Amino acid sequence: MSRELSELYRSLAADADAADLGVPEVLRHHTDRRARFRAAGGTLAVALVVVGAVIGAQVVTRPPTSVAVPAGTPTPTPTPTPSASPSASVTGAPSSPPVSPTTPGRSPGTSTAPGGTGTQPPRTPTSIPDRAFFAVPSANQTGTAPQFRDEAVLPGLCGADIGSEAVVDRRTRLLIYKLPQTPKGYVPDGTYTHSITIYRAGRADDVLDELRQAVRDCPEQKLPGGDTAVRSRQRLLPDSGFGDESVLFEMRSAGQDVNGDPTGVQDVRLVRAIRVGDVVTILWEQGWEGTSSQRAQVDADGRRAVTAIRRWLG
Amino acid sequence: MVRDAQSFDDFYRSTARRMMRYGYAVIGDHTEAQDLVQEAYARAWRQWGRLSSHPAPEAWLRLVVSRLATDRWRRLRSLRGALRLAGPPPTVSPPNEDSVLLVQALRQVPATHRRALALHYLFDMPVEEIAHEIDVPVGTVKSWLSRGRARLAALLPDLAVVELEATDVA
Repeated sequence: MSRELSELYRSLAADADAADLGVPEVLRHHTDRRARFRAAGGTLAVALVVVGAVIGAQVVTRPPTSVAVPAGTPTPTPTPTPSASPSASVTGAPSSPPVSPTTPGRSPGTSTAPGGTGTQPPRTPTSIPDRAFFAVPSANQTGTAPQFRDEAVLPGLCGADIGSEAVVDRRTRLLIYKLPQTPKGYVPDGTYTHSITIYRAGRADDVLDELRQAVRDCPEQKLPGGDTAVRSRQRLLPDSGFGDESVLFEMRSAGQDVNGDPTGVQDVRLVRAIRVGDVVTILWEQGWEGTSSQRAQVDADGRRAVTAIRRWLG
Repeated sequence: MVRDAQSFDDFYRSTARRMMRYGYAVIGDHTEAQDLVQEAYARAWRQWGRLSSHPAPEAWLRLVVSRLATDRWRRLRSLRGALRLAGPPPTVSPPNEDSVLLVQALRQVPATHRRALALHYLFDMPVEEIAHEIDVPVGTVKSWLSRGRARLAALLPDLAVVELEATDVA
């Protein structure tokens, strides 16, 4: 067998040799350009945070009577807390208090939960069309279309099995996005594993309960999927205003470069599960080369996901 | 740290073909392997100031390729656009049948086994050297090679089945 397997590998090598990797000068040029783009993006992000903080401080110190909140203004998301970690400084609510989630009534359809935008009970579907997934706004498009793939919809949580026996149908896509302020052609800012799952009638709210409990029961673990001993810390974050109910949690770990060496910053991932009737959509943000999830973007995409699902369910 | 472009270019030219073979054997997809190997070289260039004095930069590069293949494959999809260095891919001859069969079978073999098999069959590395590069015990490498070959034998019925002995992989 060895000899013949060697022959097969020789054939494979011959095929591989047909690939043109290009000349090193071009590769160096492109690599340096990407690095400059990345540096420029980082500077821009810091500048936006500083500007935001200044504006926020002005708003806070202004007399309350001078602020008129228009009707229908969305609930503001938690303000980022300054941190010694550059990546953590642009990520939402790292120092938020413990969560006491309020779970609305049972699904399906009977729920018109506080914070939900719908008023009619959604029907229970049996299959998931493409239109159930939100369209990526042009400002977030990278030029790579989302791809439907059979992916894990949640990160590992100490081995918890969450609602798998109640699944009726599920579709999952991989979505690569950029932040609106990142120019076209720059390195993307993040990726989502975005899933929509239909559960058996009345089970979707149990699934969110199970997810909350799984996060509580798994405050720390070895980083799922990693080949190193890096630890990941999980915790629930306060969340409201998404669908009938939602669960938001973060996963925080020490960043590593490709060599496995510490980068000195924290990698923060945000994961949000939103229930609309018997349907649950999950947006699991997974960053891009060490970037951390940005709460404002994750919130905006969560709202888009709910809108698309409500439109689909009619 | 100052990076010497000339030494990087020499390194690239002398290793690119081997690296592409390795990438193809580990990834199992020609285009994706091309993207991934380019990404690995891009990372090598970013760190070339330090890496140029590394005792085994090619092994470092293989490690990067392996990690990208297992942990970060998602990101490579979009790198296709960013790293397509010379326009659309050139037209290449269709792959030969043996290669296609092997690649299809390798996709059903665990990543650790693919990696060990590639180092053994493409680089003629002895087991001890593979164990050193992957940083696992020698016995583990022997097990991976043995099980990997048994799996391939099951998937490729035309292959002659031979006794898999420890000496065969040592």
